[in-house]
Amino acid sequence: MSAAVSFGGKRPARETLSPLQSRCLGALLIAAQLPQAVHLPIWVALTGIMLVGLRILLLRRDRLRPQNPPGRIPSWTLVIFAVAAALAVRTSFGYLVGRDPSVAFLYILVAIKYLEARSPRDGTLLVCLACFLLVTPFFYNQSLLAALAALPAVVLVGVALDVLTSDPQAGSRSFTWRSATRRSAMMMLQGLPVAMLLFFVFPRLAAPLWGLPSDYGAKSGLSDSMSPGQISELSLSDNVAFRVDFDGAVPPPAQRYWRGPVFSQFDGRTWSFGQPGLRGDFTPYSTPRIRYTVTLEPNYRPWLFALDLPAALPALAAGSTPVKDGFPILTRDQQLLLRMPVTQALSYTQLSVLRSSYPAARDEARYNLGIGKGNARTIEFAQELRAQYPDDAAYVRAVLAKFNREEFVYTLAPPFMEHDPVDMFLFDARRGFCEHYASAFVLLLRAAGIPARVVTGYQGGAMNPRGNYMIVRQSDAHAWSEAMIEGRWQRFDPTAAVAPSRIEIGLGGALPSSEMVPLLARLDMTWLKSAQLAWDAFNHDWARNVVGFNRDRQRSLWHDWKLDQFAPWQIVVLIALLVFAWGAMVVGWLMWKRRHQERALVLWDDLNRRLARAGLPRHAYEGPLAYATRAAQRWPQFSIAFAAIGESFATLRYGALPVAREREALVATLERAIEVLPAPAALRTAPP
Amino acid sequence: MAASLLTGMRASAWLARVRQRAFRQAPGDHAAVVLRHSRIYILPTRRGWAMIATLFVLLLTSLNYALALGIGVTFLLAGLLAAAQLHTFRNLAGIEITPLAAGETFAGGQIAFTLALHAGSAARTGITVTGADARAGGDIAAGAAMTVTLDVDAPKRGRVSLGRVTLTSGYPFGLWRGWAYVHFPLAGIVYPAAESGAPPLPHGLGGADPHAQGASDDADLAGLREYQRGDSPQRIAWKAVARGAGWFTKEFDGAGGGGPMMLAWAALPAALPVEARLSRLTAWVLAAERAARPFGLSLPGVHLPPQQGREHRRAALTALALFPGE
Repeated sequence: MSAAVSFGGKRPARETLSPLQSRCLGALLIAAQLPQAVHLPIWVALTGIMLVGLRILLLRRDRLRPQNPPGRIPSWTLVIFAVAAALAVRTSFGYLVGRDPSVAFLYILVAIKYLEARSPRDGTLLVCLACFLLVTPFFYNQSLLAALAALPAVVLVGVALDVLTSDPQAGSRSFTWRSATRRSAMMMLQGLPVAMLLFFVFPRLAAPLWGLPSDYGAKSGLSDSMSPGQISELSLSDNVAFRVDFDGAVPPPAQRYWRGPVFSQFDGRTWSFGQPGLRGDFTPYSTPRIRYTVTLEPNYRPWLFALDLPAALPALAAGSTPVKDGFPILTRDQQLLLRMPVTQALSYTQLSVLRSSYPAARDEARYNLGIGKGNARTIEFAQELRAQYPDDAAYVRAVLAKFNREEFVYTLAPPFMEHDPVDMFLFDARRGFCEHYASAFVLLLRAAGIPARVVTGYQGGAMNPRGNYMIVRQSDAHAWSEAMIEGRWQRFDPTAAVAPSRIEIGLGGALPSSEMVPLLARLDMTWLKSAQLAWDAFNHDWARNVVGFNRDRQRSLWHDWKLDQFAPWQIVVLIALLVFAWGAMVVGWLMWKRRHQERALVLWDDLNRRLARAGLPRHAYEGPLAYATRAAQRWPQFSIAFAAIGESFATLRYGALPVAREREALVATLERAIEVLPAPAALRTAPP
Repeated sequence: MAASLLTGMRASAWLARVRQRAFRQAPGDHAAVVLRHSRIYILPTRRGWAMIATLFVLLLTSLNYALALGIGVTFLLAGLLAAAQLHTFRNLAGIEITPLAAGETFAGGQIAFTLALHAGSAARTGITVTGADARAGGDIAAGAAMTVTLDVDAPKRGRVSLGRVTLTSGYPFGLWRGWAYVHFPLAGIVYPAAESGAPPLPHGLGGADPHAQGASDDADLAGLREYQRGDSPQRIAWKAVARGAGWFTKEFDGAGGGGPMMLAWAALPAALPVEARLSRLTAWVLAAERAARPFGLSLPGVHLPPQQGREHRRAALTALALFPGE
């Protein structure tokens, strides 16, 4: 009837982590480490997990051989571990202050802390550190998979806290992973409405509070300069650059030139911006304009991409951040720029005309003639060729014909060209990727006195039939050229002269199948591709609605729900009311669930009510056996029934009953014994 | 002027009422108390604060780097925190606390206060009861009750009240500390410590010296009477019970040294300080009880006629404990 008092007196002076608590913390750490491990150098990933594993093994050894002194790692070695880890990370990354080395260091440090964790306070610290570790993979990947991978650790945070609070081995509760996980997951579900509410209403930042580390987003997309090998490296990436929803017909593949950074300056090896950033004008065209919406993944650059040529400034959503901080502009080389890097997914509606030539300003010629240092053979060759073709257009045709007719190979794996890369490419290697062709083409033109420049961006893009939108991946990155002929800039794509199929059907069609093309750029493996496209359609929704739920989308959602008409205090009151309603619902549900969970309790409550109406209420202090005895004294004719009721209920409530069948039998007995009793009115009038 | 004075009084009364409701510093709970939301307080524990600080840093980081999933996970954990708070509340709400008894002890011992905690329909986990420096607690199954005994140190004689009792629970995650105050007018009596090595009992009213009869504490058996509730178990005629004759209590002859005696304050040496007198009288009361001799007690303002039995003993000890009288 009354549970024994489980503890009394004073708290023990110093509490230590029990083996079970340590094991739970270890499980939490490993679950938090695993999703991060794939983004780390292999030695970091393995070291971190092995350190945690070491402690778990020691715990296991202690459990198997309790007579041995517990396995301990001396504290001073941990300082050495930590310093060694810092040095190793410094050596491996080349620097220590930055996102990647910091994440790697945290990853190892958490494991080292776990090795020496002794007290519950260490346990709390580890749980907090694990929470940090939980979030770090999202620096690298915010896909649905990454979100799912974080979930086990989130649930284990609850399990670890649960076990830290009341060590079940010491108390009366028995611990099973299943029930502990269930409890934590249930609580997580109960908290989900609050989490979602906060996610939707919590204001997002317009601009970062502090500077992003220099290595942040370094791998995501085109760069602000172009040297041989850069774009081919990018072509190995399946990452999405942006997605496009077209309002009307989709342009044919050969016209899908997504214009990005334009390079005029050449030092003999690397192309970079050069022309002062003047504002340009849109060329008025009578040809039909096409309208589409681009959802740009963060590229950490101020670049917006549009089909060649952009016909108007992009229309960003009203209230969207870049609009407030400075409108996008069009540069003189027809590139769309923002005033700030794109750090969040950004949607804009764009108008373009599909033209490959447009008028040039007269003074642009002088910025686009530099030939840099070296590459003497190329310049000599150009001058010889120019002597044969004094006409600009004829000269360009001759250069393209050279690429077309001679043995040039389009490949992702050209040899490394250290000095005079254009010379080496044109006359020795003859193997190259688009940036080699574009670079060589422009240099040949400039050496002949024709103004020319390199344009980078993306070429192509695949329609996803399931979502009816276009995906442009990093593997679609491309470089082409523009030459000023008769006062107009004209687009030339030397790659098309070598591998026309690159432009028509994409990278997978242009490269021999022995080359390492990203899986999704290949043309065969159709079922894989179709599954992948379905997955991408899902990811597109995920990216648009969850990952892309930024300040702009939040504002437009508020606008749609007419929330922006309310004063801030009204919104705060509304949220408070919602949270209160949520709390009331959860508590109410918890109470209701407990009552209806156990048939025995329901039966017992019912019996208590009936006997109370018959004039024999149960005293608050009375247990089932005492109450049943009292009832049997009041109604001796039912004494056997009452004895059965008291005994079976007491056993159900307080006995140890591992077998479900026994429980059921007892509940059945209880039920039958209660059924025997007459109605309360009849009981009240029954003689004592 | 008068009106403002009246308002002032009203305000102070109102303030006192609010303070009583909030902190329960006066013993205002006279019957069983069921914990409701108005009594339950919840604040984060140290671990809770650590978690909140962590989530705050995570939120700032995720906002800064525009990590939607980071924000999502942060809020998911925040939801867990919020749900844990509801569970902490649920764990305490609905517990019924009944004052059971206050014990008795001698100064220097521990006095036991017992309370009953009824779980009601839901199981309760990790409930700690603290009152006057004593702690007890445990888990209670749904529908069950738990008797909690608080052993409070009692260094001095007198009436000891349990004072305010706090029910605490950190269930489920130790992130929140939920607590509630109950204050029952539960008080126990701490008797004076018995003087060790006290002089022998004084003479009986009969006048004869007990030591003359062989220095025995025992008295002559005068006869048997029917057992009455409250009679000392030491005086039950166990042999008669064993024979099946029924329940009888032995009666002793008041004659000789074993006869009724008067334990009198005034008869003690004048130099003896108050506490020492009380200690000696306590020791004599216990000795008389052991010797099964009727005794009377006379203190300034208190006079108990010679009598025997547990109730009489308690009355005498209580009079000693509360001297110089409440």
